[in-house]
Amino acid sequence: MRLRYLWGVVLLVAAGFGWSLLPRADAQAGKTDPKMAAAAVAFDKVIVPFVARHCVACHGPEKKKANLALHTYKDVHALLKGRKVWTHVVQMIHAGEMPPQGRPQPTVEEAEAFQKAVLDLFAAADQGKRDPGKVTMRRLNRAEYKNTIRDLVGVDFDPTEDFPADDVGYGFDNIGDVLTISPVLMERYLAAAEAVMKRAIIVGELPPAPKRQRIAIFLEPPLRPFKEKTRFRPLTDGKDYLGATYKITGEGDYIAKVRVYGETVGKEPVKLAIFVNDREQKVQEVKEAKEFAARFYDAKVALKPGDTKVSVKIVNPQTEGDKKRTLWVNQIQLEGPLDTRPPSQKKILAHKTGAGKDDAAREILGRFASKAYRRPATKDEVERLVQIVRQVEKNGDKWEAGVQLALQAVLCSPKFLFRVELDDRPDSPAAHPLTDYQLASRLSYFLWNTMPDDELFALAAKNELHRNLDAQVRRMLKDEKASSLTESFLTQWLQLRLLKNVSPDKKLFPDFDEPLRAAMLKETQLCFDAIVREDRSILELIDSNYTYLNERLGRHYGITDTNGNGWPRKGKPGDFLPRDKFVKVTLQDRQRGGVLTQASVLTITSNPTRTSPVKRGKWVLEQILGTPPPPPPPNVPELEEKGQLTGSLRERMEQHRKNVACANCHARMDPMGFAFENFDAIGKFRSKDGNFAIDPSGTLPSGQSFKGPGELKQILLSKKDLFTRALAEKLLTYALGRGLEYYDKPAVDRIVAQVAKSDYRFSALVVEITRSDPFRMRRGKDDVQ
Amino acid sequence: MSSAPKISRRTILKGIGAAIALPWLESMGPLRAWATATPTPAGGTLIPNRMAFLYVPNGVHMPDWMPTTEGTGFTLPRTLEPLAEVREYLSVLTGLTADKARPHGDGGGDHARAMAAFLTGAQPRKTDGADIRAGVSADQVAASRLAHLTRLASLEIGCDPSAMAGNCDSGYSCVYSSTISWRSATTPVPKVHNPRLVFERLFGNGSDADRARRDRNRQSVLDFVQDEARGLQPHLSGTDRQRLDEYFAAIRDIEQRIARAAQLPEPPRPGMPQPAGVPQSYQEHIRLLCDLVVLAFQADVTRVTTFVLANEGSNRPYPFISVPEGHHDLSHHGNDANKQRKIAMINRFHVSQLAYLLRRLRETREGDGNLLDHCMVVYGSGNSDGNRHNHDDLPILLAGRGCGTVRSGRHLRFPRETPLNNLWVSMLDRMECNIESLGDSTGRLPGLM
Repeated sequence: MRLRYLWGVVLLVAAGFGWSLLPRADAQAGKTDPKMAAAAVAFDKVIVPFVARHCVACHGPEKKKANLALHTYKDVHALLKGRKVWTHVVQMIHAGEMPPQGRPQPTVEEAEAFQKAVLDLFAAADQGKRDPGKVTMRRLNRAEYKNTIRDLVGVDFDPTEDFPADDVGYGFDNIGDVLTISPVLMERYLAAAEAVMKRAIIVGELPPAPKRQRIAIFLEPPLRPFKEKTRFRPLTDGKDYLGATYKITGEGDYIAKVRVYGETVGKEPVKLAIFVNDREQKVQEVKEAKEFAARFYDAKVALKPGDTKVSVKIVNPQTEGDKKRTLWVNQIQLEGPLDTRPPSQKKILAHKTGAGKDDAAREILGRFASKAYRRPATKDEVERLVQIVRQVEKNGDKWEAGVQLALQAVLCSPKFLFRVELDDRPDSPAAHPLTDYQLASRLSYFLWNTMPDDELFALAAKNELHRNLDAQVRRMLKDEKASSLTESFLTQWLQLRLLKNVSPDKKLFPDFDEPLRAAMLKETQLCFDAIVREDRSILELIDSNYTYLNERLGRHYGITDTNGNGWPRKGKPGDFLPRDKFVKVTLQDRQRGGVLTQASVLTITSNPTRTSPVKRGKWVLEQILGTPPPPPPPNVPELEEKGQLTGSLRERMEQHRKNVACANCHARMDPMGFAFENFDAIGKFRSKDGNFAIDPSGTLPSGQSFKGPGELKQILLSKKDLFTRALAEKLLTYALGRGLEYYDKPAVDRIVAQVAKSDYRFSALVVEITRSDPFRMRRGKDDVQ
Repeated sequence: MSSAPKISRRTILKGIGAAIALPWLESMGPLRAWATATPTPAGGTLIPNRMAFLYVPNGVHMPDWMPTTEGTGFTLPRTLEPLAEVREYLSVLTGLTADKARPHGDGGGDHARAMAAFLTGAQPRKTDGADIRAGVSADQVAASRLAHLTRLASLEIGCDPSAMAGNCDSGYSCVYSSTISWRSATTPVPKVHNPRLVFERLFGNGSDADRARRDRNRQSVLDFVQDEARGLQPHLSGTDRQRLDEYFAAIRDIEQRIARAAQLPEPPRPGMPQPAGVPQSYQEHIRLLCDLVVLAFQADVTRVTTFVLANEGSNRPYPFISVPEGHHDLSHHGNDANKQRKIAMINRFHVSQLAYLLRRLRETREGDGNLLDHCMVVYGSGNSDGNRHNHDDLPILLAGRGCGTVRSGRHLRFPRETPLNNLWVSMLDRMECNIESLGDSTGRLPGLM
């Protein structure tokens, strides 16, 4: 199990004890510590005999192949000093690379005992050490950049579509070590900053206020009978009105306008009143008496978003003989909001009234840079930005253009593009806590994929974030922005991003269409969302009695209503599944609950024309249990030597597995994969594969056997710790933005133990991660070098 | 790589053209000497040589690829049939090996290694994340040396985005199986896959006046951010500093381009509108990118390009040619004749796209010849047979006459284990980028001329 710590980190592991400046208790404790003592015994009893039997013939006193002389490591201390070498040795044995073919091979038990002995020794030496590791400063990835721009600038615009894809390391796209910056990307950053600021701040002429207009025939009340040619409609009775209702979205000042003329009787001119939302605004005299002289009368009014009714009435009706005083109405308009500066402009450029240009620039740029850099901007930083403004003005452009350019410069600064954790001791290998501002950023990018909000900044400013960590984490998990855990973490952990590109064979799977593809992803996301939002047990990811379906996916699963009935309905009827949204469905059996048997996962682990039990088994081992099989040995012996394989897929696979080189790992992968054979390559239930009946039963190397996916899920549930550890490792990797190292093991152990104590609730997992040393602390100096 | 020869423009003379290319013998020494020794007749325009590298994943079905006879007059094998029209421009090169794509003790991961080693001849370091390392790629050697001559030092394009989810191949980071261009051993160059952005990169998106103004503003921004970055340096260590160095390098690259744009003449506006985005159809996507390569060479915006038709290990299905199975899946054919037939169909589809590019280049007049006379277009894979994952006897085509430096229309067979990188070094000679060696090269490839 501990082997997992080696994968992916092998090449990074400390060059020997290069970091030996760390407090080390082990060297002295080595003699008395019981674990160290046990390791020393294992060195004599396991390591030395194994090496003597299998290694020294080539890597010993005579041959020293690959410049390796393993006999020179005489005791545990020598071995610990050569940690990098021995890590590699363990890896080669684990991968079956060594001993090479043609040499006597160790038994599986023998090899495992050897690996365990070496790794136990490392673990014993690491006891009591506190190393939070070092996170390479992280460039914002595409999602983070997009969200940060949204929260910082407040423009509804996504410039990241044109960015090159982010590189992926350790399964995630937020790993500092692989988030490189290329000229192509830098160019996109420059262009994005320009595009964002062009939308956020309008330097030139403002656009005119939007205008809404309704002509007479369409005014309320409706004309009956409808006469198309009525350009003007009369108002003669003080109780009557003509009006128009508009839906407005922006708050602010508007102008309501009516175009009229009036035919009066008697001495008094016609008077009109404009009403907005049935409130009288203004009474005005209409002197224009002829149609050709008709003109607009208006009233200014402050409005909030929503339906707005503008209407007009005659105020002074009068009848003389058969003549009536008449207000002729041609149209009603509503113009606004009058202030057409984008909201972002008002927010970003806000400054004290009466301030001089430089002071205003200082205020604006200081505020903006402090948010963009996610810590207070220094006076010097702000002054240099103000210089840009001055320079632009000197070139003859507007002050606003200068501020705009300075803001662009902020968005291209390494302090914005990278999450810099400025360290006053960059070369010190000693662990020290993050500053509150740094912690705020780690939290917000972990849980929200974006910059800290005002509350986090406020706590950081008071140095109270470390103290209020748990409460803040719980608050943040309830926020809508926590959906980024689904968008970014879940889709990468379970590899759901592959779903976008799968293309099942149209002839074999005519059912597969875009709505189904979208629904597959949505189901898994909603299940995870529920666990995050309702703080449910993470074990429900393996098995649950509910899921989320719409009609399309329900049809795929053979489920028609919210009680999980098929058709005809056998159980208590529920509501039919809607076409346009997802609803929670109570499942009647354990066929579909949990992510393993969801169409999304079953599809991404299939080939375009058929299922792949190997991929499915590997997926479970890797993503769910965190015990990936080693990669296939190079130069897999050719299958064709044994002639064409025949029979069902399972029979063919079993023939394949007779090959000794493949057998060990496939004995782990294949049974798990075959458990899901009842689901075809797009996750639809089937009882036959072509002409062959499906047998979903199997036996794991541990001897545990199962009849089908339901029982396999129960076996997986019994491996709670393994699953929790796998998820904790993935989530910690994602949270830290670096691969895990051997020194992270104590932190992971603690997280797993605490989550078990808290009924496996999701919030416990997150809280424990944020409390852990690797998350809250840092050290300078890399151990690679 | 050790010596830095004087850079002079690799040229031929308009008045001479490729049709009557002067004979050039390797024994005469570096091409540069010949080019600079030739007097320029009055009014003659210099035509540059260019190089393009097209990569296809998962190897090919070799029996349908390799001509049965050597030299001229070979019969085009089935997979190469679509190239019949341009066969006099082809050099089929067999027997070349990408040794560094082999495991050498690193176990599985042949796809990742095949691609990373293809143009670098360097053993990629097996890592899933940090600490990525391969070698400088041949195209980037040319790009760095010719950078001052064109608006764009090089163009890196492909049909798949650069990274994919997860660890892509047996413990190798996705970057290896999705990148063939490496600026330095630790700096992979991501490719652009959206034709709209490729167009923008080549020809900009706006009027010249706008561009001048924008470039001036960008220069102010770049000055500012460099100061900012310098201020960070003392507070950072190790890998953080590496990130910052990359940042500086990116900034410098853009500054140089701004400076070049101000000096070099404006490229002619291409007679093609800016593409809207990524076409739905894979074939159209490839062809649109091919069109852009032709435009880039024609307008002399760049002289070096790499084009990845699909990432290595790609499992893309090809239903439009009746191959609904995934490519990678099929490539493990287990000698099943039906699967091999389908692999050959995919190979033929890809080669048809190459034929399109070559036809377009040949149709484009330049000097007394055409663009294909003045190009070296390599097409190939770092895997030979996808089933065996062998990296010797690679499928490699060289098309074009490289300004009269390549005698085409032949099938050349090289001794087993001849490093593929020998070809790159020989091509770099023809670009006036003479280097002693690159990656695992052991010398020049004889007989191209």
